[in-house]
Amino acid sequence: MSTLSLEEISKLPWVEKYRPKSLDEIINQEEIVASLRNILETKAVPHMLFAGPPGVGKTATAHAFARDLFGERYIEDGHFLEINASDERGIQTIREKVKMFARQIPMGGYGFKILFLDESDQLTDDAQHAFRRVMEQFSVTCRFILAANYSNRIIEPIQSRCAVFRFKPLTKVHVLQFLKRIADNEGLEVDDQALEVIYDFSEGDMRKAINILQASSSVSKKIDEKAVYQVMGYVSRGEVRKILELALSGKFADARDEVRRLLYVQGILPSDIVSAVYRELFFLDLSEEDKLELLDLLGEVDYRISEGATPEVQLMAFLARLAAKRKR
Amino acid sequence: MSEVWVEKYRPKKVSEVIGNKQSVEAFVKWMRQWELGKPPEKKAVLLYGPAGVGKTSLVLAYGREHGYDVVEVNASDWRNEARMKSIVGESSLQASLDGSSKKIILIDEVDGIAGREDAGGIAALRKIIDESRVPLALVANNPWDPRLASIREKCLMLEFRRLRKSEIVRRLKEIARSEGIKVSDAVLAKLAERSEGDLRSAINDFQAIVGGRKVVDEKALAALGSRNRVKQIFEALRMIFNAKSIRAARAALEGLEVDLDMVYTWILDNAPEQIPDPSDLAEAFEALAKADLVLARVNRKQEWRLIKYAVPIMTGGVAVSRKHKPSGFVKFAFPSRIRLLQATSREREIRKSIAQKIAAKLHLSTAKAMTHMLPYISFIAAHDEEAGKGLAEYFELTSAELSYLAGGKVEKAPKKVKVPARRRASRRRKTS
Repeated sequence: MSTLSLEEISKLPWVEKYRPKSLDEIINQEEIVASLRNILETKAVPHMLFAGPPGVGKTATAHAFARDLFGERYIEDGHFLEINASDERGIQTIREKVKMFARQIPMGGYGFKILFLDESDQLTDDAQHAFRRVMEQFSVTCRFILAANYSNRIIEPIQSRCAVFRFKPLTKVHVLQFLKRIADNEGLEVDDQALEVIYDFSEGDMRKAINILQASSSVSKKIDEKAVYQVMGYVSRGEVRKILELALSGKFADARDEVRRLLYVQGILPSDIVSAVYRELFFLDLSEEDKLELLDLLGEVDYRISEGATPEVQLMAFLARLAAKRKR
Repeated sequence: MSEVWVEKYRPKKVSEVIGNKQSVEAFVKWMRQWELGKPPEKKAVLLYGPAGVGKTSLVLAYGREHGYDVVEVNASDWRNEARMKSIVGESSLQASLDGSSKKIILIDEVDGIAGREDAGGIAALRKIIDESRVPLALVANNPWDPRLASIREKCLMLEFRRLRKSEIVRRLKEIARSEGIKVSDAVLAKLAERSEGDLRSAINDFQAIVGGRKVVDEKALAALGSRNRVKQIFEALRMIFNAKSIRAARAALEGLEVDLDMVYTWILDNAPEQIPDPSDLAEAFEALAKADLVLARVNRKQEWRLIKYAVPIMTGGVAVSRKHKPSGFVKFAFPSRIRLLQATSREREIRKSIAQKIAAKLHLSTAKAMTHMLPYISFIAAHDEEAGKGLAEYFELTSAELSYLAGGKVEKAPKKVKVPARRRASRRRKTS
């Protein structure tokens, strides 16, 4: 990575270009960074669980930690392996890939290596139980860092074997500071209103904030509020609002088809759809009692999805209830 | 009775196959293309429909009449990819040019290989279809299993329906004549009725009540126990939506050889049309959502004992919620979810490929890459050609992928033809 040419760097997506390279560059997680520095000093690395919302630096911290520990070639030299559990969620991954890496003897006098399991809350229960055994068996030669949005989806025995670090959502100040830094570096003029709007859309997710900024810059190097809205209009297209309105006007089947399109074609994460429904719900043409009832149901839907229920079905149950509110 | 009648009276020629004329003709036409040395575009045919209506018999009869070796394989013969390849793979590559041993490969119970233990079986079969130089005839009761989707695309789909009572009676009469048995038309009519369009079971029943005698009357019918028939999904849906009790709704699934997930999808997608009142529908969907939750717990926690709640909740829930009915008869329809997935398969493919490339570079899962990165990259590609090209280079996207991102359009693939074909198939089923 260090040997990229200027031209190559100019082609990088900004989320990559401005990814923190060492612990010093991690933003807003002072306590965690302090603990990790301690660990670096003593070289007594425990298994760790990084929990927290998306885009707050869990993955970046894991990489930065490993780079600080093993040096620039931490991946190439085989000290660090990253597996994304969302793509390989089965027991097979644990049995083969994880075990294979964990059992190899560490090189370079470090005594152990690090396996980073990102989105580990996506592992099936079976896989988690298998994983727990691997953690015990190979803890001498391999330390594990797990990252998860929902630590409650990680089985107890794994949690109890890990030092748990909770990542805070990024504050507005931090996000804006960072965006300004990028803007300066890229020669952009971003007005304050635009920055505010980017932050609102990002909901504290730095990856999202940077993406919005980069996309806005493809329209013009002078970025105002309108450019940001143009991006977000393209990205989210108000589909969720449309779905709710379809349901409310009695076109349930159309609403259903749209939900499926979002889930299966666009690949929108169910949790993102639920969040958008939550945001829109307050503005629908409904009585306050009805809104309360629907909020209650939405909370249920959200929880059921986190329990593994089929998002499409749960969302449809919500839409059907919403559609039933029409005639009253 | 030394010989089993169903074997003895299996059709020897295509003209002896009873009923389903359209599909029989389509099959013959498809085989003729092979005969002419011009293999049809679809190298496999999928004969589907309920048991005992002549699917396998047609293939055997054709083979016999036209001098083919029929290499027969059924689901119990092979349980995985390796077996599949060794049995079917080799024969499928041996096309004989001299005509000395023409082959048809007959794969029975294709829906039976969709199970988990046949890892790779379906994929292997798909590959064999692609590579085959001989006709492949696949037979299934339920071709709508999602796991068969990739096979369906490659097959000429031929539906076989239950036979008419008159067709069955006529065949039974021929057998009676040939065996020298005296039997009244009324008895044969009863047998035909009992069979519900399944000729094989009618012939078996007939042979059972004859029991070697030469004269048979109605009293002999009493000997027959009741037969638990394999139901069609449509019959089950009718029972579920019209059930007066949860017990009756649950019973609709008995004897139905369609897996639970599939039944669930059919109920889910037919509910909006069958339940006109929005409040009823909300209730019905709440029941379906709860059944889904039960199934999720079963899957995640391996709590198999819970599965018993899922069926009554999903079937009974729909039945109990449906307090108002549509004013006229509303047909049951093929699940729209499956149609949508088929219609969008190309777009989903290209998006997935792009997302995988992004994921590989950015320490992200494919799912997150698709939603958290792809739309922004798409926006950039659409607004700034130079920057779009740079990103495409970084992510190693193909030019087709970049132009999808920039224009949001998928190049139309030849696949389009298939959708109407399948719709036709489902419409035909609806009327049955």
